[in-house]
Amino acid sequence: MSNCRIGVYVCHCGSNIAGKVRVDEVARYAKDYAPDEVVISREYKYMCSDPGQDLIKKDIKEFNLNRIVVASCSPLMHEKTFRNATADGGINPFFFQMANIREHVSWVTEDENAATEKAKALLIAAIHRVMHHEALEKRTVHINPQVLIVGGGIAGITAALQIADAGNKVFLVEKSPSIGGHMAQLDKTFPTLDCSACILTPKMTSVGQHPNITLMTYSEVQEVNGYVGNFKVKVLRKAKSVDHEKCTGCGVCTQKCPMKAPNEFELNMAPRKAIYTPFPQAVPNKPVIDKTICTYYKNGRCKACEKFCGPGAILFDEQDRIEEIEVGSIILATGYDLKTAESLPEYGFGRYPNVFTAFEFERLVNSSGPTGGKIVTREGKEPKSIGILHCIGSRDKKYCEYCSRVCCMYALKFSHLIKEKYHDCEVYQFYIDMRCFGKGYEEFYNRLLKEGVNFVRGKVAEITDAALEPSEEGKLIMRAEDTMIGTVRRIPVDMAILCLAMVAKPEAKELSHIFSCSVGKDGWFTEKHPKLAPVSTASDGIFIAGACQGPKDIPDTVAQAGAAAAEVLNLIQRGEVEAEVVTADIEEDLCSGCRTCVELCPYTAITYNAEKKKSEINGALCKGCGTCVGACPSGAAYQRNFRDEQIYAEIKGILAV
Amino acid sequence: MEYLRTVKYESELDKKFLKEVVKHSECDKILECIQCGTCSSTCPVSLYMDYTPRKLMAMIKGGFKDDALKSKTVWICSSCYSCTVMCPAQIKITDVMYALKRMAIEKGVYSKGIPTPVLAQEMSNIISRKGRNSEMEVVTRMMLRTNPFGMLKMAPMGMSLFFKGRMEIFGEKIKNLPQMRKLLKGLKEAK
Repeated sequence: MSNCRIGVYVCHCGSNIAGKVRVDEVARYAKDYAPDEVVISREYKYMCSDPGQDLIKKDIKEFNLNRIVVASCSPLMHEKTFRNATADGGINPFFFQMANIREHVSWVTEDENAATEKAKALLIAAIHRVMHHEALEKRTVHINPQVLIVGGGIAGITAALQIADAGNKVFLVEKSPSIGGHMAQLDKTFPTLDCSACILTPKMTSVGQHPNITLMTYSEVQEVNGYVGNFKVKVLRKAKSVDHEKCTGCGVCTQKCPMKAPNEFELNMAPRKAIYTPFPQAVPNKPVIDKTICTYYKNGRCKACEKFCGPGAILFDEQDRIEEIEVGSIILATGYDLKTAESLPEYGFGRYPNVFTAFEFERLVNSSGPTGGKIVTREGKEPKSIGILHCIGSRDKKYCEYCSRVCCMYALKFSHLIKEKYHDCEVYQFYIDMRCFGKGYEEFYNRLLKEGVNFVRGKVAEITDAALEPSEEGKLIMRAEDTMIGTVRRIPVDMAILCLAMVAKPEAKELSHIFSCSVGKDGWFTEKHPKLAPVSTASDGIFIAGACQGPKDIPDTVAQAGAAAAEVLNLIQRGEVEAEVVTADIEEDLCSGCRTCVELCPYTAITYNAEKKKSEINGALCKGCGTCVGACPSGAAYQRNFRDEQIYAEIKGILAV
Repeated sequence: MEYLRTVKYESELDKKFLKEVVKHSECDKILECIQCGTCSSTCPVSLYMDYTPRKLMAMIKGGFKDDALKSKTVWICSSCYSCTVMCPAQIKITDVMYALKRMAIEKGVYSKGIPTPVLAQEMSNIISRKGRNSEMEVVTRMMLRTNPFGMLKMAPMGMSLFFKGRMEIFGEKIKNLPQMRKLLKGLKEAK
């Protein structure tokens, strides 16, 4: 490689490096080691400073250099700085290599001689390596300004409105017949006690009427192809059997429909019809036909809805169809579920009628709920005492190890709502710890303390109806250790409410495959960085917001939705992004088509070309992680600037000192 | 061997107890106790107590009336007010202790075998009779009621105190006794 003209620069980093490494000796050593290739070798106080960078640029011109090596800090700090300086000097930025003699040498080596020797070895390795570097060209990718948002809960709604208000087209895909999500089911919101529906429905209506938002309810994303800026998405539009263009939402069809089914929105505590809108404030406020219930789909008779429908909007023959859309970025806001109460038999849900889940209680206390807001037992009686059980399934290694974060607060809210309606009702909170972490939350806890709610620090192990004395007859007995007093107590109540763990949606795993992002061990979507990139995923252009990332309350969900919207708007504003250049590729002649790499690629960048019987890498999706290169049994996969010859040259350099 | 049941049934508890204590102590902040335990850790004598002040607050809130009133804790409290100063919920814990003492004496359920409640009672009697405390009388009465044989042991010290002029055999009276009695009567009526 005699045509290489290398410039070597050893940085002092003040005393960070020079205090331990004899930098002048290292610089001299490099020049002496390869006098033909190393044209100039310098040491300088701060290479990252403007004069330091100018030194590189000037030398490139003056000495006609074509390779640059800087021995300084970690590439994470200044690789970009020096690459830019190299490019400014007039040569390809990838004809540059960095040796880390700060984090890897001066900061971690005690002996000055050993440090100097190690610095020499790393520098020589870099010199060897840079001789084999190949020139790479930067590529940019255009960003399609259209956005897909999956999930129409408060997270999806917030993000959709922010992006659409900024003038961009948004497709909002929602699985159920209406947007609103879990928040639409809640009665009040802690700690301010705003009516949940009152603050949510205006936003829902805005979504429904927004000219920039295409609402796709009763739909699911089936397939996503492409990469940041250019996704092609297949959306399954389930047959609503009602023409929403014609339908006026008058509701006559629902009145006339003879078939009843349990209403999921009311947690099956009230019936709905086969043709239905899930709740009165639904958006769109137009019905769909549940084909599993409707008699027409069973035996071809009835058609009551069609007979009474004025505008003739009923479409019995409507079929599911696939709609293809093109978007530049995606936000996943698919939300959460509550753990099923049946999975914890010790709490007797289903066995004892007066054990309620938290969501059932939300509907029970809601004035538009099945009891019109009256808190009553399943027998319709007013409860004299109610037990609220925290951490059911949460903080339990048998079920969910994590804390669900919202239960303490909504349990307090429940207590308040009960006390508001029945002042003399004894309310017991069985808790492990009170976790009131948010703004105004501790104050809300204090308010409930003042309202005279009984706080029993101890988890109820099981609910039983086995009375041991007359006062317990006909009641549900909570047996818990009052760890504050140090005694086990038996507390009979008329009603028990289970604060069940928040769990990831069962389909999250499947979604993670569709959207090429990952889920953690608990099934929540994994963020790129827990602190510094909380709404990004491993896939560029795909973001997450709300409880699909982990248990979250409404304020945090809304904040995250805003953050995800900002990330999307950032992409749209830029219009194009720089694609990774140090990507992998496959030597077609060597590939045996074993498809090992296809399975392993964390970015689903590799596809199998059945025609050629070869695997192919989509350069736009590849992040250059090198997994395929390491795994390829025939050595067909390679990564630019991480080719075998380059790595071997580096090793040779290290061993030369 | 006899087994004692330790589980508390809700029917054994007195749900009105909290209200009573709030009334007697004029401290409704008990409700706001967050069970942090600052009171117990700042208390210089909590290591001699059967229930720590924190636990006592929980028992008041939980309606554990019998246990709370029979507790030795209130009599061990030396009224240093450290807990009251430190409490993050600003509960006047010392006042609550006094309320429990009064309630225990009124109901006659105070912890037996502890001289403090007897001392408090006798001292209160002597003062309402004479307007001033008499060391000789209060100690004699307390010892007779709680530990009569202990008097023999204490006698030499009593003698020394007497000869040094530190203890009077017949205590003093204040000048205007009727006025003080009127005052006390007024207080009782006001209560």
